[in-house]
Amino acid sequence: MRIGSSVLLVDGYCYQSYGWKKLRPLGSLQNIINSLEAYQCDEISIIRPVRENDSIKAFKKDLVIIQKLNCMTPISFGGGIKNSEMVDLLHNLPVERLIFSSAFITENYKPIEHAIELYGHQAIQCAIPLGTLNGELKVFHSNSNTYISIESVNFDMIKELSNEIILIDVDNEGCNDGFNKRVLDCIDIDYNRLVISGGIGRKTVKFARNNDIASVMIDNRTLHSEYSIKEYKNYGGV
Amino acid sequence: MIDIMDIQGGNVQSIRNWAERLHIQTRVIKNPNELKSNFLILPGVGSVGPYMDKLKKTNFDKAIKEHINDGHRVLGICLGFQIMGNHSSEDGGVECLGLINGYTEHLKVNFSHNGWEELTLDKNNLKAQSLNSTMKLTRRRITKGRVFFNHEYGFINQDEDSFSLPISENLNKYSSTLVKDNIIGVQFHPEKSQQTGLDFLSVIL
Repeated sequence: MRIGSSVLLVDGYCYQSYGWKKLRPLGSLQNIINSLEAYQCDEISIIRPVRENDSIKAFKKDLVIIQKLNCMTPISFGGGIKNSEMVDLLHNLPVERLIFSSAFITENYKPIEHAIELYGHQAIQCAIPLGTLNGELKVFHSNSNTYISIESVNFDMIKELSNEIILIDVDNEGCNDGFNKRVLDCIDIDYNRLVISGGIGRKTVKFARNNDIASVMIDNRTLHSEYSIKEYKNYGGV
Repeated sequence: MIDIMDIQGGNVQSIRNWAERLHIQTRVIKNPNELKSNFLILPGVGSVGPYMDKLKKTNFDKAIKEHINDGHRVLGICLGFQIMGNHSSEDGGVECLGLINGYTEHLKVNFSHNGWEELTLDKNNLKAQSLNSTMKLTRRRITKGRVFFNHEYGFINQDEDSFSLPISENLNKYSSTLVKDNIIGVQFHPEKSQQTGLDFLSVIL
């Protein structure tokens, strides 16, 4: 099992989210990456938490920052990749894997298929944010900033086009060990293709390890505490 | 000086960062005529069909063969390694460069292999190969640590005279590291393997 971390990239700076409602500034992306690399973090996901008003200008501005990254840790990047032209702009970034969310949810498969052609199927990750609305678990559609039913998502295509699926518990991001295990029931797939994120603490790491989950993304707020990834690796048995 | 092939389909910047951390000068080449150094890196992110098409379209396929025939070294990473074999089952079956006797097939055991595995490479075991290691960046002969894999296809080596290490106990029919004279192929991503990746480069150069 891999033990990674995720950071949100907003206007060129990194943030930690709390329940996808509050953002805590962490600093520059390179500094965060340096810290995580020093901890021998297995992988890092950089996510742009964008909505409908995202622009190509803002997208390109963030790409400039990522282009300059100097790091030797596997990086996944996503957020706001809507069309094939945007996929072309990702050429030569120091990134191994691409994360698509709204494109999968809206069944906009062209950019995903184009990314497969350029980067290979192994490079495609699908992020499904899930949260509870009126007691019911729903999928958060980032682009429209709304919740939609789980049944309206075409999971068969997600399984076919993506290599791994990142299930994000949006309610519990930033909350230690709050990960809602009901999130895992939303898709019928081998756990070894799942990455879980949002409220990942020691107990959840142990749970993930015992259930052969591919990877866990520990909340980045841990950067602000006396944190050693070795401790988490110990819980993960790796 | 290291040349890095750029056919618009790989993480070239990661490879530059990797080599430059060891203070090795790099040059990104988009045209085979620019190939001058005695060490060429073939980056590997993508799928084999489009990758081979681009190699042929740019004439890099011939340039790589000439480079090797001239006794210079090539390091293929992940897909850059797989395309040096005879053929690959990816994209409905694609003929590759045929520089190493072996082929690529979809991993039989797992759907894909994404993660870290242990690697121990002792340079003494490469003595049978004409590796022509010249840069002498380190006197150390052993690389030991963990390396990062991200692939759905694996290379099956059929060249008995080559040096080959398996990926892991679970994936032991697939090569993690293969050295055949001046050809080096690695299924893992040394450029994303933190300190072990740096150690690996300093040993093989």
